[in-house]
Amino acid sequence: MTTFQIILISILGCLGLFGAISGFRRSIGRPAAVIILIISLAGISAALDPNQTTRIARAIGISRGTDLIVYLVALVVFQGFVVFYLRLRKVRRELTLLVRHLAILEASSGDGRGRIRRNATEAEASDP
Amino acid sequence: MNLVSGYVKLMRMPASEKFPDANNGLEPAIADETWVVIPVFNEAEAIREVIGSITPCFKNVVAVDDGSSDRTWDVLQDCAPHALRHFLNRGQGAALQTGTDYALAQGARRIAHFDADGQHRLEDLQKMVAGVAGDECDIALGNRFAGDISEIPATRRILLRSAVLFHRVVSGVRLNDVHNGLRVLSREAATSIEITADRMAHASEIIDLIARSGARVREYPVTIRYSEYARNKGQRWTGSFRILLHYLIGRFAG
Repeated sequence: MTTFQIILISILGCLGLFGAISGFRRSIGRPAAVIILIISLAGISAALDPNQTTRIARAIGISRGTDLIVYLVALVVFQGFVVFYLRLRKVRRELTLLVRHLAILEASSGDGRGRIRRNATEAEASDP
Repeated sequence: MNLVSGYVKLMRMPASEKFPDANNGLEPAIADETWVVIPVFNEAEAIREVIGSITPCFKNVVAVDDGSSDRTWDVLQDCAPHALRHFLNRGQGAALQTGTDYALAQGARRIAHFDADGQHRLEDLQKMVAGVAGDECDIALGNRFAGDISEIPATRRILLRSAVLFHRVVSGVRLNDVHNGLRVLSREAATSIEITADRMAHASEIIDLIARSGARVREYPVTIRYSEYARNKGQRWTGSFRILLHYLIGRFAG
């Protein structure tokens, strides 16, 4: 086993362990934990036997195992990007709702007419 | 009547009575039932004049400071009848929705959207408010191409025409000016529309929401003042690609 294989397997092993523990503790969702486990196990398997990826690649019509890995990585990165982007959009939308809610709450909590200008006369401020 | 009591009486008068010709034929009661929402972002220079030009006719003006970093909030507190503030900048669409929600909660019968950079004219707004109040439509939209178009810069004209074409194809909406910020909505129409696009894509989103709401829409000729200030504050043509991207993502990704 080469040094690179040892390093790669160690990293993937840690990743798999992280997925398993996080899934067990429910700090991440079960589907995410399963995906992390599958990716790390597949990676360890490919690192242990590089020819295996070539055999799988040829079985599905791709000439080289390296190409298969590149395609899979591209797919995973793209899917991760989409998920991350959609979550970011959701957070931004929630932030907007919070900001809007606070603005109305702040304006309504005073005299019910928003921020009346500082130099408004009492008569104007009390005018319904 | 001495000077002091005369001043107090003047201050207590409705704005429409203080400036009898300011209503331009619009009934004061209709003006008083209409709330003008102005989203404001870094407009400390111009906003006082803009609000001052509206308040003689419309007493209910809601200015929403969208997290400005200049003195806008101080100016608004001083000159706006109703001033609200987003503590973070969330975009014009969000500010419009905040102002609209606030106005509806205060019992507004009609909501008008008006830009803060001084490019809209009071007389156009009055005409549109009269149209909605007179039951000509539920939503009145400004159409700059039916008015004097000589001031519209050529690049902007091309972009705006492209946006019109785009909406005809994508949304099936047959309007002639889809990115005009001057709008008047009846209470029912304003209640049925909720803007979720934070940034500038809200103009396109509003058109889609209007199309889906089934409200009666009418375009009114308006003149946009392309002052040096408004041109500098306005969107760059490169920004239209970002708006398009945000709109498409919002439309298809939900």
